[in-house]
Amino acid sequence: MPNIVCCFKWVVDEAYIKPSSAGKIDLEWAEHKLSDYDRNAIEAGVQLQEEYGGTVTAVTVASSEATKGIKDALSRGPEKAFFINDEQFENLEPVQTSAILAQVISQQIDYDLIICGEGSSDMYSQQVGPRLAEKLGIPCIALVKKLEIKDNRLIAERKTDEGIEVVSAPLPALVTVLPDINNPRVPGLKDTLAASKKPVVDVSLEDLAAEYPALMVLEDMRAASLVRNCTRFGSGPEDIQAFVEAVNKTGIIDRG
Amino acid sequence: MAGVWIYADRNEQGMELLTVGRGLANQLGKTLTALVAGDDSTAQGFISRGADEVLLLPSLGEGQPLQDYIPLIANEASKADPDIFLIAASLRGKEMAARIAARLDTGLCSECTAINIDDKGKLQMERLMYGGAAVQKVSISSRPQMATIPPRSYEAAEPQSDRQGQVKSLDPPEASGIQVIERKGQEAGSGDITAARVIVCAGRGIEKQEDLAMVRELADTLGAEIACTRPISEEKHWMTEESCIGLSAKEVKPALYIGVGVSGQIQHVVGIREAGVICAINSDENAPIFEAADYGIIGDLYKVVPALIAALKK
Amino acid sequence: MDFKLTEEQELIRDNMREFARTYVDPIAVEIDENSRYPEEVIKKLADGGWMGMPFPAEFGGAGVDYLTYAIAVEELSRSCAATGFTMSVHTGLACGPIALFGNEEQKKKYLTPMAKGEHLGAFALTEPGAGTDVGAATSTAVLDGDEYVLNGVKTFTSNGPVANTYVTFAWTDKNDKRNGMSAFIVPREAPGLSVGEHFMKMGIRASQTSEIIFKDCRIPKENLLGKVGDGMKIAMNSFDHGRIGIAAQAVGIAQAALDESISYSKQRVQFGKPISRNQAIQWMIADMYTDITAGRFLYYYAASLKDQGLPFSKEAAMAKVFCAEMCSKHASKAVQIHGGYGYCKGQKVERLMRDAKITEIYEGTSEAQRMVIAGNVLR
Repeated sequence: MPNIVCCFKWVVDEAYIKPSSAGKIDLEWAEHKLSDYDRNAIEAGVQLQEEYGGTVTAVTVASSEATKGIKDALSRGPEKAFFINDEQFENLEPVQTSAILAQVISQQIDYDLIICGEGSSDMYSQQVGPRLAEKLGIPCIALVKKLEIKDNRLIAERKTDEGIEVVSAPLPALVTVLPDINNPRVPGLKDTLAASKKPVVDVSLEDLAAEYPALMVLEDMRAASLVRNCTRFGSGPEDIQAFVEAVNKTGIIDRG
Repeated sequence: MAGVWIYADRNEQGMELLTVGRGLANQLGKTLTALVAGDDSTAQGFISRGADEVLLLPSLGEGQPLQDYIPLIANEASKADPDIFLIAASLRGKEMAARIAARLDTGLCSECTAINIDDKGKLQMERLMYGGAAVQKVSISSRPQMATIPPRSYEAAEPQSDRQGQVKSLDPPEASGIQVIERKGQEAGSGDITAARVIVCAGRGIEKQEDLAMVRELADTLGAEIACTRPISEEKHWMTEESCIGLSAKEVKPALYIGVGVSGQIQHVVGIREAGVICAINSDENAPIFEAADYGIIGDLYKVVPALIAALKK
Repeated sequence: MDFKLTEEQELIRDNMREFARTYVDPIAVEIDENSRYPEEVIKKLADGGWMGMPFPAEFGGAGVDYLTYAIAVEELSRSCAATGFTMSVHTGLACGPIALFGNEEQKKKYLTPMAKGEHLGAFALTEPGAGTDVGAATSTAVLDGDEYVLNGVKTFTSNGPVANTYVTFAWTDKNDKRNGMSAFIVPREAPGLSVGEHFMKMGIRASQTSEIIFKDCRIPKENLLGKVGDGMKIAMNSFDHGRIGIAAQAVGIAQAALDESISYSKQRVQFGKPISRNQAIQWMIADMYTDITAGRFLYYYAASLKDQGLPFSKEAAMAKVFCAEMCSKHASKAVQIHGGYGYCKGQKVERLMRDAKITEIYEGTSEAQRMVIAGNVLR
């Protein structure tokens, strides 16, 4: 009966991001969402619970405004949530997030398995899961497509550059999951209504009584520009010929 | 204090890291150390290509995952205290880098797209965020300053005949408790698009699976590999994910890329931004791909592709 | 005055949007073409707790306020007006009267399985000779011992062919025009009930519509809903709630029309630029957006009044007539924006235009709504 912790992040929905005039990006109209791969992480935890019993706890480090994110996460199956929140937690970097998670999880939560998404859909640093495992001193298996528990060991299929590795690790352990691992369920109405009634442990910066300096410092941020100067052709025979000549001139195609 | 360290879990990427590592080491006036798995001749290969020192990672036991090197590498780095530590951003490399950084209590810039030393001797790095919509510029205030470098960001270093260096063999790491039970290879049916010089990419404009034959014919005429955008592999399953180019799929750096019916969503274009020449065929004049391309044909691909094949064959 | 939805309402709206995208969008074209009842989707709605939203948990419902329910109808209708309507007529017109006027036994026996989504409900009032003129009905209900015997023909009964429970109306005293009609709950299995002609419609084709024929149909006398003679009152009251659902459905259709129009006009290039740069198109889009926003707040307002226990009949009528007429107008504009493509099968806007029209007709025609509003205002 494993105790499972699922970590999630409440992120800006990148579909709403627009470049602003000064080459910066405009976040004013951006809505928030539960990071895509974290939905898979929560679903993985809930599916394991359905199979093996035990508990699922959702944990997040977020700004204090992310109350909707807590409800969203709870509507997807976990029985309780830890809302580690402060105004200053808006733009943390992975060193900070993993340190805060490690402190709270090790001090306040009994766990056998921690599940994270492979990366967050906003920053996609893919660091928090592996860093958290090291801080907690537990085995880490990243990029997992398939997961099961057997005789108190984790059996996981993970993606490597060469293909797939099937690995086994003792519990407690941490995994990061790929979106291939499952199809997150759509919360039903009753799930969303029940979410507001589930227990939420509020953890503030005062409670943590520690400092978390950022080690990766943001110097600047600008809209990505992938713009090239495009020479355009129509689709008539002369245009096709002109296009072929332009490509030939680059010398890339071996016409010998 | 040691200068620049590099580690790649695959030697081809190690050769690429030698290029950027040597450049940074020269700027700092310090040495370049490479962590390499292999034997003495592998080590000499790295030395001839720019390393001043090679730390040889010992071979692992049967069923030991590469990640077992992590405590070993972190320990050595902790003793040597390098300024900079670069790791190849392979799937495994990204995980190992994060865990090594955690052990060293230092910051890490993931999938760094640009790296240079400023006039204060500090590393300035760039990376993409928000699904490719924005670029972050970061620096790291702790030691070592760590970054993961995507494959093919740099040319492989060339060997020089007169280089000398030291080789030191490291002791085998302890077993971590994680065992590799089985290794399965990749799905068959796709060429390696990350190595291709020329790529023809099929996008949403392709209406039926059978029409991929036309795209393949264009590819064959050009000596190209065929790839696809996410809808083709993820939604329609007409091609495998190994052929998919995009932010959370493959990044490619071909000399020539031709998108056929590719609209040019940012998540895909990010995967081809380093391509030499980008061409696109799309019926929609306002498709975003035409902003990111060098040459664009505006027209119905079902007419253009056959015409193009005919013109190329002449 | 806080115009913001609560976080919970936003999440419920987002969940219904996700549900509709995942389960309804993929089949919307097919069920329209084949006039097929989307049984599998209705079952998923039931499993998700969506078929009895505003009713107490004691009777199988989710106990949310009417505003939240209406928002869910809008989101579902945005993907498929027929599916949204199936849910709305079941909830508003079939479950609604039983929830408000039924006794404990009736609520336990009939409302509970309907609110849980195990049973589907229908509302059988309209007759061949009695549309807006409800009083022109001819169906009768005669007390015979322990049973009522119903005779008559109901028409344009939505969910008719697939319902398990019908709320219907018949004269218990033909001579009393005011208080001579009574309401009844009729289970599908009642002897003498048969499903008559199925109607093939212009739009909302996946919604099943038929005649319901009562021929010496016998029901226990306990199935009288409310008191003898309450029929007209129950019918009028039911329309008040139902109207909010239809207004929401119309906003959903209009929103879908706007979504399609924005996307198409940005892609379609004529005379060297996307048509979205033409002022004519921009004005159409601006009008759509304005009317949708206005319509949405109008039904939010009616629903909020109802949730506060305040009179809302006039507001519900305003919401219904405004949203229905603007939705019909803008669905047609959407086809115009799409040009020839918009007129072709397979394009969403073609279906939206066909679906939109009925919102001006059923659950009280626009003319009937105007009578209600004028009656209220000119008192």
